[in-house]
Amino acid sequence: MNDLSKNSRAAPGTPPLVLLKGIAKYFPGVVANEDVDLEVMPGEIHALLGENGAGKSTLMNILTGIYRADAGEIIIDGYRVDFSSPLDAIAAGIGMVHQHFKLVQAFTVAENIHLGWQETPWRASTRKLEARTAELARSFNLPVRPDAFVSELSTGEQQRVEILRVLARKARALILDEPTAVLTPAEARELFKALHAFRDGGNSVIFISHKLEEVLEISDRITILRGGRRVATERAADCNPRMLARLMVGRDIVLSDMRRRPKGAAPVTAEPVLRLEGVSAMANDGSTTLSNITLGVHGGEILGIAGVAGNGQRELSHVLAGLLAPSSGRILIDGTPVERFDPARFAALGIGHIPEDRLASGLAPALSITQNAVLREYGKPPVSQGGLYRPDAAYRLSLEIAKAASVTVPDFSMPIRNLSGGNQQRLVARREMRIARKALVAAYPSRGLDVGAINIMLKYIAELRDQGAGIIFISEDLEELISLSDRIAVLYEGKIMGVVENRDIDMDEIGLLMGGRQRAMVAA
Amino acid sequence: MVEWRLQRLPSAGTGAALGARIAAVLLALGVAAVALVLAGQNPFALAAQVIRATFGSTFGLEDLGLLLIPLLLTGLSVAVGQQIGVWNIGAEGQFYIGAFAAAAVGLFLPGSAALILPLMFVAGAVGGMFWILVPTLARAYAGVNELITTLLLNFVAALLVYYVATGPWRERGGVSNSATARIPAEIPEFWGLVHWGLPAGVLMALGFAALLAYSRWGYEVRFAGSNAKAARYAGMPVRRHLVTVMLLSGMIAGIGGMLEIAGTVHRLQGGISNNFGYLGIMVAVLARNSCLGVIASAAFMAVILNAGIVLQTQGLTSATVLAITGLILFLTAVGDEVSHYRIVRGKV
Ligand SMILES: Nc1ncnc2c1ncn2[C@@H]1O[C@H](COP(=O)(O)OP(=O)(O)OP(=O)(O)O)[C@@H](O)[C@H]1O
Ligand SMILES: [Mg+2]
Repeated sequence: MNDLSKNSRAAPGTPPLVLLKGIAKYFPGVVANEDVDLEVMPGEIHALLGENGAGKSTLMNILTGIYRADAGEIIIDGYRVDFSSPLDAIAAGIGMVHQHFKLVQAFTVAENIHLGWQETPWRASTRKLEARTAELARSFNLPVRPDAFVSELSTGEQQRVEILRVLARKARALILDEPTAVLTPAEARELFKALHAFRDGGNSVIFISHKLEEVLEISDRITILRGGRRVATERAADCNPRMLARLMVGRDIVLSDMRRRPKGAAPVTAEPVLRLEGVSAMANDGSTTLSNITLGVHGGEILGIAGVAGNGQRELSHVLAGLLAPSSGRILIDGTPVERFDPARFAALGIGHIPEDRLASGLAPALSITQNAVLREYGKPPVSQGGLYRPDAAYRLSLEIAKAASVTVPDFSMPIRNLSGGNQQRLVARREMRIARKALVAAYPSRGLDVGAINIMLKYIAELRDQGAGIIFISEDLEELISLSDRIAVLYEGKIMGVVENRDIDMDEIGLLMGGRQRAMVAA
Repeated sequence: MVEWRLQRLPSAGTGAALGARIAAVLLALGVAAVALVLAGQNPFALAAQVIRATFGSTFGLEDLGLLLIPLLLTGLSVAVGQQIGVWNIGAEGQFYIGAFAAAAVGLFLPGSAALILPLMFVAGAVGGMFWILVPTLARAYAGVNELITTLLLNFVAALLVYYVATGPWRERGGVSNSATARIPAEIPEFWGLVHWGLPAGVLMALGFAALLAYSRWGYEVRFAGSNAKAARYAGMPVRRHLVTVMLLSGMIAGIGGMLEIAGTVHRLQGGISNNFGYLGIMVAVLARNSCLGVIASAAFMAVILNAGIVLQTQGLTSATVLAITGLILFLTAVGDEVSHYRIVRGKV
């Protein structure tokens, strides 16, 4: 339907660097990919878009030899290939950076770069490896610290190491699966600069993301998958976010006004349901990450927490959910100070928690979907009675949660890691909302979700508010914060810089607060 | 050019896994047969002999039953530890100490069997728990890996039992000079020589399988074993479960030692554990840590060990027998891994 190569920068006659033809992949009960064509030219950044579960990761896993296609062919530089492992793919110049990094935490950057690499010199001193790494970093314009341990690096730095690892192996096509989901805006800009430089050297990038603006900004062409099939390939210059959203979902997405309360919505309570008073907290290494925070959320209200990631959001959500005991100050639930910091107790009192790293700390990837879905309610009827755990009741509850999360599950007994990344997140979110009678601590709830799903997620949060729960909504997306929150608090280096009522929000001011300027304002 | 290559699948199908196991056993037997031919033996005659001696006679079946009991318990001990992600390499030592504690009660406390046997049972259970106590606390409170601690205690336990059996507790003027006197309290037999320890062991495996699948505790243990971070996020008492499960694991192995003493051997002697603890690791691995699977894999292991014993009576050296047994187990483990792969034909 499209002349696929109409926008290629390569000389006429140059074969595409990557060409997928008629790819299909079936899992029991699921068509992950069917009849998918994809053409990526040298010198092109090609974005892959699609709803959660549309088959993007699966398609890339096929291209990099992790899965084998049930039908179709992979053609690299005009030659048909057959990858049986990621090693074959990298030998052909195809490298992938997964969303979950595969670096060895206890090794230095230089060691990680050289690990399992044929070109690593047989006998090499630390100095030599570090010098080689520094040289590579210079040539690809990806600044890294060769002698730093990976465990000391920020997420953005770790990602640069992953990319350098792939590029050092002479990749000509770089696949990035949702690379910006974990980056701060500044880190994302750095990444885009590096990707542009890489592309301008005649290489290709395949870029998966759910953030439409960013996709439009960075890519040359966009391929959209829906239900495992390719629905369109377009030049980015011809696209706009609305049309992309429609192509992905198959219908228009109507953005509702989330802040308007429907009739019958629970009123905002006079007293906060969850309140911090002078709370400070330490990170594991003893450094102070929250200092003297006083903040409360009322029932029926959404309190947004703005700020650049890494300014204490994690500790704030952990304290609010009972996972981290404050070093000073106190926490009140419904006006009663909490004595014991036990997340199970917080949950029993009606506080749900969507953790920021939900896949690592909210799920057991190897256990079944049912076992994961009931994590918050296994301790009470109907799932358990006395000490008895009832698998049939657990199954029924997980059916209900999956339905509420609009995730179709072919088999509830399969490990939850078989679900697409976004679908795992949706299940966690629904699981937590079910127990959040009093309050919900939601850390970046829309990360990793497609546009349609984000809209639905925000609507669910608004519904929870209308049922009278107080919501702490942590996000780095100002637009999203403004569209949902009643008040917005800005977090900077562990301190609350100010709390702003939504009606007198001034974007510039919030920006300043996020950057550390103080505002003379009383917290509620 | 067309080339055949291997591709690794994320998970093995049940059919493939079963097929790989059967193939592994057949392959091992084939290799063993060739080796036997080279050694001047007739493998078919030997095989017939093994089958006749194991399954063709009551004696053979009884031996099998007796061998099954300790394997069942040590296998279960390791499998239970694995539920929370712990490698109990120390079932061997816990088995020894369970036997030791049970023997102490049986030898030195007067009373009728009806009174002494339950006491021996408790002594065995507590002995096993005691022997894993230090590794448990070290793991739970100081994060010390249990592999080394449990392993090292095996040697201590073996030496201790050897010392008392050849020294202070040795039966003066007895038939052997490395065993205690016969313990009067005996577990009654229910079929030939096979005593009630066998149904008790099977019952324990069924009980633990049920506990893990149908109790709240079991759910929490499996969750904590799969991702401790997520278990903590949900507020599960991860450390308490770790301690409980490790102690239970030691207890099961200790009970194994008690059953061996009170039902099969009736004396404490050096080497009473007979490597059952290490074989238990194999049993658990073959069962993929399923408590029900342990029943089947312990039976499989018992058949192999029993065949080995028969072969020894046929004049094969124990080293040869050990090599054949090892080969079967090794190839089974390889087969498990191989079943993750499939052969693909591709052009390069
Ligand atoms: N190993 C597997 N076993 C069974 N089903 C699988 C497996 N891997 C993926 N699937 C299914 O294939 C479909 C496509 O999944 P995929 O991970 O490719 O989606 P995605 O487009 O990357 O979604 P997301 O944006 O949520 O990451 C999903 O329905 C998923 O459940
Ligand atoms: Mg994905």
